[in-house]
Amino acid sequence: MALDFLKVSSQIEAMAGQVEARGPERAVKLDRAVRELHEADPLALEDKRHRAKTTFLVPGITGPLSLQVPCPSTPPDFAVLASDGSHIDVSRHAAARCFLINIGLVELRYGAAPGARLESYPRLYSDPEEMAVVDPQDRLRPQLIEGQLLGIVRGIQELQALADFAESLPEDMPALALVDGTLILLSFLGQTFPDYVKRQLLQDEFLAALTRLRILSEKRPLAVAGYISLPGSTEVVNALRVSLCPYDPPDCDAHCRVIQPGERPCDEVDGLRDRDVLLRHLQEGERSGVFSSQSSVVRDWYGEHEVRFFYVNLGDEIGRVEVPAWVAQNDGLLSLTHSLIVDQSRRGHGYPVALSEAHEQAVVSGRDRQEFARLVEESLERRQLTASTSEKDLSKRLKWL
Amino acid sequence: MAVDTGARVGEVVEASTDSFVAQAYRLYEAPPLGALVRTGSDTPTFGVICYTTTRGVDPNRRPIARGEHLADEASVYQENPQLELLLKTEFNVVIIGHEESGSVRHYLPPGPPRIHAFVHQCTDEEVRKFTQDLGFLELLLNSRNASDDATSALVRQAALCHEDSQIFLVRAGKELAMLLQGQGMRLNGVLRRLG
Repeated sequence: MALDFLKVSSQIEAMAGQVEARGPERAVKLDRAVRELHEADPLALEDKRHRAKTTFLVPGITGPLSLQVPCPSTPPDFAVLASDGSHIDVSRHAAARCFLINIGLVELRYGAAPGARLESYPRLYSDPEEMAVVDPQDRLRPQLIEGQLLGIVRGIQELQALADFAESLPEDMPALALVDGTLILLSFLGQTFPDYVKRQLLQDEFLAALTRLRILSEKRPLAVAGYISLPGSTEVVNALRVSLCPYDPPDCDAHCRVIQPGERPCDEVDGLRDRDVLLRHLQEGERSGVFSSQSSVVRDWYGEHEVRFFYVNLGDEIGRVEVPAWVAQNDGLLSLTHSLIVDQSRRGHGYPVALSEAHEQAVVSGRDRQEFARLVEESLERRQLTASTSEKDLSKRLKWL
Repeated sequence: MAVDTGARVGEVVEASTDSFVAQAYRLYEAPPLGALVRTGSDTPTFGVICYTTTRGVDPNRRPIARGEHLADEASVYQENPQLELLLKTEFNVVIIGHEESGSVRHYLPPGPPRIHAFVHQCTDEEVRKFTQDLGFLELLLNSRNASDDATSALVRQAALCHEDSQIFLVRAGKELAMLLQGQGMRLNGVLRRLG
């Protein structure tokens, strides 16, 4: 049976009513947040943050919270590279144990000699050795690459492919290399994976690819950035919470553990996201100041690639741009990133066109997935190899009465 | 955009006994309506461009207007360099003959061209040789995939390849009058387009 929308629609209406009712209260919070953005003393706040013990993540403050940087002009000739990926996960219902990663890569050149490269690189993995991360000290307990870990491996390959592409750029052409989403491999935050997995995937592969890009940037103006559309993050708002906190040093557990949610002093800005506050604050094309991520994975592993981020007003929405520290600390590369993100979004009707084309190259549709499963089955059957799919999978495909 | 005569202009992407579809190698660079093209090496097959389309490579992605704030059409492509790769030009060709042992045959070849067969725009010499005899007109007029506009365009272009264009046009006019006996209105239409 399909979802009973008759039953769901009334619940949706009720939810919309609640959102509407919260409107006036939210407007007051937004005013308060924007005021605090202007009033907070960055040096004092950074000092307070260092001493604070919060239950939420507060970014490092590198300048005034209210900074508004106008969009710099783009260079006359430049290139934008972007990568994206999708995958077909291991299915225990399928005939063979395998997964597929499809990487989409795009290079767009603008200026006197415009041009484009749109490519996709699908690769099938079925060799057991390639399908697991193995601890050299304990080969008996491999970490199988599937589910969440496969998503991480794919993200690593997106960055590696971008570094490969960047190597072919002419040395005098300013370029921005874009990945879709965050540069922070968030999944590691949960400490789900053992250290050897982090070392092999994060240090030896992901950060190594960032290092390749950094070395390339020594010879040419090359910036690398992760772009997040409609970000849900609340780190700047969390900084405002610290700023509003009457306790010094702030210590959530010591002072506010038993206080009703909504009653804490910092709840004056509760429920807001960074994008809500910055959409009110930044003019079109402007970026915010640069903040530094304090996530534990960045602190513990990223070193010279420590992640910095800023927000940028792209007209219809606020985008979050993450860059490694070596980009953030180089005014030229930071300006290049800012101007090309704004330019790309203008060309892409609100979203960087290179990323949207990379997505088109990478995407594996539902139909492609079915076709892939069919080809795997057929190929195995041709060789008289057992190719039975599970009865559950069959029953999903054959919708009999 | 001008296409070099005799140049390789595209590749067969769909083929049947009496027609084929080719994708132009470069966006918008299909030979003009009525141009004579040749494909296949074992059995060179000749056909006429009867219909050309340009659209998105991905049928699910429709082009959107992009030039409102740009000075001219060329700027739309310069500012969006990916468009050249996301759009494609295809041309439909009606087969009107083939070559067998070096002789022109104004009837269908034994089979359709292969997919990915290269398509060349015929040189003036090839056009002259193929249209020396007017037998191809019958196949063209009776094809369900050809329009009279394509027929007249072919005759007009062929006339320019013959030493005396006027004599060729008169000869073609007479042949058309014979083939379109009893279809006065249609004949008038074709002849009017030859002028």
